Amino acid sequence: MEGIEGHAGRFTVTLREHPRFVDINKCIACGVCAEKCPRKVEDAFNEGLNKRKAAYVQYPQAVPLKYAIDADHCIYFEKGKCRACEKFCPAGAIDFNQNERIFTIEVGSVVLALGARHLDPSAIEEYGYSTFPNVITGMQMERILSATGPYQGRLVRPSDGQPPKKIAWIQCVGSRSTGATAHEYCSGVCCMYAIKEAVIAKEHAGRDLDAAIFFMDMRTHGKEFERYYRRAESELGVRFIRSRVHSVESSAPGSDSLKVRYADDTGAEAEEIFDLVVLSNGLETSNEVRELADRLGVAVDENGFVKTACLSPLETSRKGIFVCGSVANPADIPQAVMEASAASSAAARLLAKARGSQVREKEYPAEKPIDPAEIRVGVFVCHCGINISSVVDVTEVRDYAKTLPGVVYSTDNLFSCSQDTQQTIRDAVTEHRLNRVVVAACTPRTHEPLFQETIREAGLNPYLLEFANIRDQDAWVHQGCPEEATVKAKDLVRMAVSKVTFSEPVERLQITMHKSALVVGGGVAGMTAALGLAEQGFPVHLIERNGNLGGNARNIRATWKGEDVRSYVEELSKRVIAHPDINVLLNARIESVSGFVGNFLSRVRKGGRSEEISHGVAIISSGGGFYKPEEYLYGQHERVTCWHELEDLFEKEPERLQRAEAVVLIQCVGSRDEDRPYCSRLCCTASLQQAVTLKTRKPDLEVYVLYRDLRSYGLREELYRKARELGVIFFRYTPENKPAVSAYEGTRGKLNVTVQDHVLNIPISLDVDYVNLFSAILPQTDNDLPHLFKVPTNTDGFFLEAHAKLRPVDFSTEGVFVCGLAHYPKPIEESIAQAEAASSRAAGLLARGTIEVEPVVSVIDQERCVGCGFCEASCPFGAVKLVAVAGKGFRAENIPALCKGCGICAAGCPQKAIDIYHFRDNQILASVQAGGETTREAKASSRPSPAARVTFVSGYLMRRDCMYHVGHTWIERMKGGRLRIGVDDFAGKILGPVDRLNLPPRGEVLRQDRKGWSFLRASRRAPFLSPVTGKVFDINLDAVSHPENVLKDPYGDGWLLVVEPKGSEAELKHLLYGEAGFRWMEEENRKLLELLGPEYERLAASGGGAVEDVFGIRPEIGWETLVKTFLRTEV
Amino acid sequence: MNDEFQPRIIAFLCNWCAYAGADLAGVSRIQYPPTIRVVRILCSGRVDPLYVVKGLQSGFDGVLVSG
Amino acid sequence: MVVGGGIAGIQASLDLVSSGYLVHLVEKAPAIGGLMSALDKTFPTNDCAM
Repeated sequence: MEGIEGHAGRFTVTLREHPRFVDINKCIACGVCAEKCPRKVEDAFNEGLNKRKAAYVQYPQAVPLKYAIDADHCIYFEKGKCRACEKFCPAGAIDFNQNERIFTIEVGSVVLALGARHLDPSAIEEYGYSTFPNVITGMQMERILSATGPYQGRLVRPSDGQPPKKIAWIQCVGSRSTGATAHEYCSGVCCMYAIKEAVIAKEHAGRDLDAAIFFMDMRTHGKEFERYYRRAESELGVRFIRSRVHSVESSAPGSDSLKVRYADDTGAEAEEIFDLVVLSNGLETSNEVRELADRLGVAVDENGFVKTACLSPLETSRKGIFVCGSVANPADIPQAVMEASAASSAAARLLAKARGSQVREKEYPAEKPIDPAEIRVGVFVCHCGINISSVVDVTEVRDYAKTLPGVVYSTDNLFSCSQDTQQTIRDAVTEHRLNRVVVAACTPRTHEPLFQETIREAGLNPYLLEFANIRDQDAWVHQGCPEEATVKAKDLVRMAVSKVTFSEPVERLQITMHKSALVVGGGVAGMTAALGLAEQGFPVHLIERNGNLGGNARNIRATWKGEDVRSYVEELSKRVIAHPDINVLLNARIESVSGFVGNFLSRVRKGGRSEEISHGVAIISSGGGFYKPEEYLYGQHERVTCWHELEDLFEKEPERLQRAEAVVLIQCVGSRDEDRPYCSRLCCTASLQQAVTLKTRKPDLEVYVLYRDLRSYGLREELYRKARELGVIFFRYTPENKPAVSAYEGTRGKLNVTVQDHVLNIPISLDVDYVNLFSAILPQTDNDLPHLFKVPTNTDGFFLEAHAKLRPVDFSTEGVFVCGLAHYPKPIEESIAQAEAASSRAAGLLARGTIEVEPVVSVIDQERCVGCGFCEASCPFGAVKLVAVAGKGFRAENIPALCKGCGICAAGCPQKAIDIYHFRDNQILASVQAGGETTREAKASSRPSPAARVTFVSGYLMRRDCMYHVGHTWIERMKGGRLRIGVDDFAGKILGPVDRLNLPPRGEVLRQDRKGWSFLRASRRAPFLSPVTGKVFDINLDAVSHPENVLKDPYGDGWLLVVEPKGSEAELKHLLYGEAGFRWMEEENRKLLELLGPEYERLAASGGGAVEDVFGIRPEIGWETLVKTFLRTEV
Repeated sequence: MNDEFQPRIIAFLCNWCAYAGADLAGVSRIQYPPTIRVVRILCSGRVDPLYVVKGLQSGFDGVLVSG
Repeated sequence: MVVGGGIAGIQASLDLVSSGYLVHLVEKAPAIGGLMSALDKTFPTNDCAM
């Protein structure tokens, strides 16, 4: 950003765009350029711990996932030749002719989200960062722990690649210190990141890893941070050493390990040896940011942070330029995200009139109607340059796809995602009247929306697209086995085709938005949120249960930066009440809430009446209170006060302050203990502020602060310094050794406070006039809001946001937001920012007349539903509920607006009454069935071959896996229990060529050992006994028309019937199997040879040998005899 | 071809995590046996016991549900 | 216009565009993501920062 001209609402910004030398419309992120690039460069993303190429992608999941040429290190730019990347790029994306571009754009407002950088610890010589390879920074540790980092997530140290056994973290490197190489402020984030790194390191290396954190004050003031700290210490054994480190040295000559020298809690010198030392280096602004701020005319403070006020935390000194994140103060992720939403609200308010004027809505052709009976699938197989085709035989996959049922068109493309291929696909849809499309390419996670868009432009519903992931999950992971990869690609295409065959158009799901908001709670957060929305033109109902607005802020005198809060709250209340779009309801409570995002209906009781309010969104800002202590004589002695009560007392009776000689302020009263294991975040700053105020008003007053860890995070550290300069005296106490407060005389006189001094390790006795307690901040729990809005709270009773980092003001219930103390204890400037953030998130919904939600939702068949309610109980989103249906009891009904399509209800429904659009049971099952096809084929071919399954007994073919009936029929058990029946080789051979099969019709019931069917040979009849009892399920019509098959292939094409068995299992015991069958066959052969007479005795002597067409060669034996002897029936 | 048993596996992967993990394995070029077939679902909670049975019935030796 | 494509810049842009404004997001690096993309995990849930 080169410069800015104009004013709020109409800025002209000059930008300088650096060339990347890669055409991002062509780059396919295959990485060939980086592979071929000969120049290695220190990888800044991995904090210099390894090398990357001069052609590179910033990190593997970069957005956009497009490569760039690092011109500062590229050989071509240095020496004028190389261009290897250009030569090898399969997409022709390298473009060395790109130039720097300077241009201007017109904007209405600007949000600065410039962030901060980590301080370079090289200048702090005593820590040896530039001397010892095993002294690293916090960010380097992050990269080492990361799976995409320099060591692939293996926890090893840089000097020798060996896993460290002992790691030390040194806190406050460059923070909370004086001198040219450091900053006085606290960086706010390092305590937590050090604990997190120690915990993750232990997860990587196991419990035996020794992790020690050297710190001054442990600042775990964020939501759930204190619990994390306790868990790290007590459960995972991370050592926390309260100390001051003065140097890091080599442990011994020639050793890579390090000696940390420090002064412990009591001031005693100590040292310890570690394999790896992590410097928790703080955040700072860069000169670049200062220069930019200068060019923009935005004021910065002495530390280089953009100046903001507590009561307008997002505004810079220049109107129309807003700020969020670490550029204005050291911020952790949730704070930065919150401020980002807040800044966007502030920026949006300025431009409220222009909303919607520049965004463009895309138009699509009308969807073509789909004939469900006609399946016309088109398959597009992508080469992805050579990414897929270097492993998978793409043309083979393409040709294979053509053979699949339903596929009418199949082609391959070099780059399916390129602009011209998109057109090719649209043309093919029209030309071949495709009504379903399969794209076999990369991953649907990144490219499904693109192709859905493509077919939508061609008039198809986007849900008629299916993806086959043959790159990320095939070609890239099976590089060594191209044949199997090709088989897999074919399988994946077949699965996609099978699924898409069952796909149906899914209608877009739109919810009309009731363009108003309900804000619950009229404190500073609620009022700020209400104004934020009203000033963007959305009507707001503000519900406050008390008789006036302002909440807790009415008790606050000043922000930590000194701004007057009382007049601010008064002014804010006036603006809220006067605003025509805000309906303020005082002394009001919510009785019930129903509906969902866009369409909430709440009943509010005010006085004796209740009214119904329709609203599209809701913001919960119900505030909090403070713990009324039971300890330290609070409530028993008039000189023991809490929070603002002391100031109130001094304001009412100024002579009390005049007479007072000493005051004690006690921290963490009811916070960070067993009952409330969280930090109340704002008390340290508030007590410092109070101490400074008292000391300023009465410099000879002794002010003592009794604390556990002083948590004046971020720029608030300045107050701590000021308090020390003014002579405020600090005593640290431990929860095991809490201070004791006793009264000298009665309940009105002076007090005595004893506290254990941690340096001298002796009790100190203080005679004081007043004791003020900073007690825990509590959530408001005497309301039914969690239940009414169906939103969760954490174990401490504060509302639980959708995601601790990325959605700090959202609930997972859409359309409901949280801000202020209801979320967690926080100072007023953070409440204001969070309220702005909530209004920004709410406005994002309210700005639209309708909101489109993902239509992949549940679909319920109420005819099948029996109203068991299992779905309602199992849905995590409250998207299914039981409704009363007249005469039927209850039936499930879905609420598509709340449904996320997860399908838990469908999987659990015992009636199979629930399905999910686009992931229907039949689609998934078809896909699974298709996926198993090659496997089934492979298994069939690896089964014992027919040759192994059959054997010859006395020259007659017999199957080992069949059962035999003495009437010379065979029985094969089929999958599912049906029986296939035929006549055996022996029967075929004695009867000779038959010319007609008289088979029973389907459905006829056969009985075991009764006549079942007959063969005819030139009008001679041969009836067969049915081997089992059962109903005829199928007959072999092929055999009926080709009776010769019975003789040629008695066990194959010559099968006769499939029977549904109706008899008992015992029937089957009458059948012959295995050896018993073979012995029976030998006996039958012997009988036959007897009938044939002496000529055939030699055959009998040799143990067998089949005679073909016995009746044909020896008709004198007689047809009747043969039938009676062997088939056991009468002609 | 070695005779070692190579189980053929059908995997039901959650779109938001395990399927993304399988993609990341690709981006990182991590190699694994080509005997797995993936069905993408929106949540591992979608997996009906029927799917598992169907997987085995369809010829697979193993079923992986990951999410 | 949002200057900076770290987590704050991304969030500000998303909120603005969903409220109906055209957003120019300006980032000096070849990819957005900023500092957070270099973090391994985030506390207290140990979720992947990426």
